[in-house]
Amino acid sequence: MSFNGIKADISVPGMIPWEIVVAYFLIALGFVIFYSKKSGGLKGFKTVDFVYIGIGAAFTVVWEFFVGPLLDKIVPPGLTAFIGFGFFGRIVVLFVVAGLVRKPGVGMLSLAIFDILGDIFHYGFSGEPVFVFYEALTYGLFIDLAITVRRGNLFGDLRAGSKASAGKGGRMNPSLAAGITGAIIGFTWAFPDPFFYSAFFGPFLYGSIVNWQKILISFYEAIPGNIIFGIIAGLIALRVSRVLVQ
Amino acid sequence: MYSILDTVISWLLFLFGISIPFYLILGAIGIAGFREITTYEKYDTFYYRLNASVKIMLSIIIVLIATFSIWWIGAIITFGLLASYKSLKNGWRKMYLAGFLILSIIVGTVWGYAPYEPLSIVSMALKTPVSKFTTVWTWPPYFSILGYEHHLTLQSIYYSLQISFRFTAAVVASLLLVMTNTPAQIIKTLSKFKIPDPIIFSLVVAMKTVPAVFDSFDTSIKISMMRGYGGNKPRFLRPFVVLAAAIGSIVPTMVHLLRGAKDIGISADTRAFRAYPSRTYYIMTPFKREDYIFSGVLVMMVVMTVIAIMVGFGRAIPYLT
Repeated sequence: MSFNGIKADISVPGMIPWEIVVAYFLIALGFVIFYSKKSGGLKGFKTVDFVYIGIGAAFTVVWEFFVGPLLDKIVPPGLTAFIGFGFFGRIVVLFVVAGLVRKPGVGMLSLAIFDILGDIFHYGFSGEPVFVFYEALTYGLFIDLAITVRRGNLFGDLRAGSKASAGKGGRMNPSLAAGITGAIIGFTWAFPDPFFYSAFFGPFLYGSIVNWQKILISFYEAIPGNIIFGIIAGLIALRVSRVLVQ
Repeated sequence: MYSILDTVISWLLFLFGISIPFYLILGAIGIAGFREITTYEKYDTFYYRLNASVKIMLSIIIVLIATFSIWWIGAIITFGLLASYKSLKNGWRKMYLAGFLILSIIVGTVWGYAPYEPLSIVSMALKTPVSKFTTVWTWPPYFSILGYEHHLTLQSIYYSLQISFRFTAAVVASLLLVMTNTPAQIIKTLSKFKIPDPIIFSLVVAMKTVPAVFDSFDTSIKISMMRGYGGNKPRFLRPFVVLAAAIGSIVPTMVHLLRGAKDIGISADTRAFRAYPSRTYYIMTPFKREDYIFSGVLVMMVVMTVIAIMVGFGRAIPYLT
C-alpha cells in the first residue's frame, strides 16, 4: 500500500510525462512566491477578505456536493458532457468571491480552502495534499493571473465615480468587460481537468487508464459550457460586488 | 424481436435511475434535513468524546479500505458505520436522513456508471474477459443514443458498486466527524500541519457557514413558496418546484450570507486577530481512553482488510473517471 492512497504511478501508458507537470507546478509556484514577495502576500488581505473566502468555500461545498448532483440528474443524458452544474456553481461562487476581494492570492486561497472543506464534508482526506496543490495552482492561479492582469479590477472598477467615468474616455462598458473577463477565465478552466487530472493525477493517484480520445473529447465538450457560465458568473459577480462593496 | 413489455421495463428502469435520487433528496431529506446532518449538536456519547483527529484518521482509513478491497467490504463499512449513528443525539432521525442520502448516492452512481461504461474497460478493470460476463438485461437498440451499452452485465454493476461504496464510506465518516465535533475542534487538528492562521480562520468560518447556507436556502425557498411560487402545480411535481425555487434563491442567499461577512470581520478585528504574531494560538485537546480504544479498532480494521486482500477479496480497480 502507498502513502495516503497515492499510488505515485508514473508509468501508465499515455500519461503526460511527469517532468512537464513538475515543471508547470514549479513555474507556477515560483511565480506565486515572486509575486507575493513583491506585493506583500497575505499581509495585504483584510480580515473581512478571509471571511468572504470562507463563506464562498462553504457555498461551493453545498453547491458541488448537495445541489449540483441533483441538477445534473435532470439534464438529458446526451448533454451531461456539456453541462456540469456542480462545476458551474463553483465558477459562479468563486468569481463572486474574487470580485469582492480583488487581490491576487484570493483564487488560490479559495480553492485550497474549498478542497480542505470538501475533504472534511465529503471525500475524506485520501489523496491529500495532492488535490489542494493541484486545484489551487491551476483553477486558483488562473483567477489570480486575471486579477494581476486587470490590476485588481477583476469584474469592473468599483471605486466611487467609476460608473460615471465608464462612458467617457473610450472605456469599455463594465458589463461587457465583466462578461469578457468571465469568458476568458471560464475558457482557461476547461484545461486542468482533462489534461492535468485525467492525463496525470488520475493515473498518478489511482493508476487509472489514460484514454486520449476521451480526454480530448471532454476538453472540447467543456469549452462551450465553461465560456457561457463564465460570462454569466462574471455578470453575477459584478452585480453582487456592486451591492456589497460600498 | 424486442417485445413491448421489455421496452416498457427498460424505460421504467431508465426513469427509476434518474428520478429516485431526486425524490429521495428533495422529498425524504429536504434542505432542512441536510442542515441537521451537517451541524454539531452538544451531546455525550462515545463518538462525541472522541478526538477529531481520530475521526479524520477513520475517514482516511475507510476510504483506503473501500478503494483497495472488493465492493461488499465497502458496503459493510458504510452500513455498519451508518448503524452506529444510532448512538448520536436524535440517532434514528440522523440514521434515516443519512441512510436516504447514501441510498440516493448508490442509486445515482450505479445508474450513472453501469449502463454507460464500455464493456472493454470493465473487462480491463476486473481482469475478466468480456466473453465471461453475465448479461442481466438487454436494452432496446435505440438506447445506444443515450450512450448505453447494449447489454447491462453483472460485472458492470459490480464495477459501479465498487465506485459508489468508495463515495458512501467517505460520506458516512465525514458526516460523523461534522456532527460530533465543533468546527474549532476539527480545525485545531489541522493546525498541527503548520497551516497559516488566516487559512485556519477561513476554514472555521466556512465550516460554521455550511449549515447556515442550507438554512438560508430553506428560508429563501419557503418565502418564494409563500409568495405563491408553483402554487397551482400538482403535488407529485413538488420536488421540481422546490428545485426551481432553489435556483432562483442562489443570488439572494449568497448576498445575504456575504453581507454578514463584514460583521464577522469587524468582530474578529476588535479582538485583535493577527495584530501580532503570538496573538492567535490554539489549545490542543489531549488523547483520552476512548481515543486509544478507537485507534485500536482502526488498526484492527486495517489488519482485517489486509487479510481479506491476501485471501483474494482485493480489487484494486483502476478508477477511470
